[in-house]
Amino acid sequence: MSKIPKVQIKDQKSKTRRRSEDKFAYRTVVISTVLSLIFFVVSLLFNTGIISIFADINLIFDIIDIILKVIAILLFFLFTMISIGNYKEMTGKPLSWKEFLLLFILSLGQALLNNLVFIFTFIGLLLILVYLYLVQEK
Amino acid sequence: MKKIGYFILSGTILINLLLVSSLLIINSYGAAEEIDAEFGEAPMINGVIDDTANEWKNAFKTQINLTDLPVDLWVMQYNLELFISVQIDLEVLAHNSTEFIGLLISNSSSENQEDFIDAKIVQFSNIHNDEFVYLDYFINNSLFQSDTEYHGEGAGKLDGKVSVYEFSIPIKQPLTEGYEEDATLEYDKSYAFNITYGDTPSYPDGITKSEIVLINIFEPIEEEQLLIDVILIVLIIIDFSIVGILSGYYIYKIFKLKEKMERLRS
Repeated sequence: MSKIPKVQIKDQKSKTRRRSEDKFAYRTVVISTVLSLIFFVVSLLFNTGIISIFADINLIFDIIDIILKVIAILLFFLFTMISIGNYKEMTGKPLSWKEFLLLFILSLGQALLNNLVFIFTFIGLLLILVYLYLVQEK
Repeated sequence: MKKIGYFILSGTILINLLLVSSLLIINSYGAAEEIDAEFGEAPMINGVIDDTANEWKNAFKTQINLTDLPVDLWVMQYNLELFISVQIDLEVLAHNSTEFIGLLISNSSSENQEDFIDAKIVQFSNIHNDEFVYLDYFINNSLFQSDTEYHGEGAGKLDGKVSVYEFSIPIKQPLTEGYEEDATLEYDKSYAFNITYGDTPSYPDGITKSEIVLINIFEPIEEEQLLIDVILIVLIIIDFSIVGILSGYYIYKIFKLKEKMERLRS
């Protein structure tokens, strides 16, 4: 017969599971932050025109240029959302709509210099919002 | 005594050399003067420079010699028009009653005679009574043929001692019927203009003095658009700066969270 009570074993197991979950959540926060920073730098380089390797060559390159800019912003938004969401979950506070709105505006603001990039980014951000709304736990 | 003689002789030679060399510089034929057309408000083409209305205020202003006749040349651009003013300052009686100023326009920056295909002329019939006509010619093998349709505007007026000539020449004319007799001016290109002067209404025989200048025509940049662009650039810089600062703060918070987690574990 075991000397450790069953309740204590259960507590230890749940504690270990929780620690492992926290570790996993923390790792997710770090990875998604790193990814969001990478896409932030890509967006900074292309959307401000520091790098313009695809611009003003021909129509195909123009399309590639627009797609690259839009995707950089959308992925920045997505990974930042994941990162902040997980961070907030770990600290036990929910993500407020103000933070959500600020991130939305700051992401859209990166596309100010190009009308087409702005329009496609806006549509993309709305789609991400709809997706996140649909997948969230009720 | 001999020394003084040598001194005077060498001094005279030196002065002569200086005078001759300066005359050579004045009369030498170099490359045509290049003029950048400045942007400004469109003036009234009436032979009058209205200072109260700040007419020609922003024009590029220079003085050139039509052979040996010094004239003031002003060049300005507004929307789809190139404005040129030529002013001749002479004694009243020295102005010939039938003087004219003509602009022979090359179809490029080429100064070859055969490339000057268009002529815009303000011809006085009686300068003292301000009677003039504006003429538009097509030059074909040095023959001046009157255009079927006149384009642009021209006017002249004797204001005291100064005869003032004003021209407006269209930029980016459509290549349709009636326009093929004119030189087509395009943005971001240079055109050779032969500024000519004469005193008898006969072309080209009446031309007595001339000078070629190169005029650079630029595409206008809308001021409002420029302002919007500047605002957008400022906004995007602010945006990226805010994201950068917040990211830095967020990374700091993540490290703090890790420390907190480790503390809770131990």
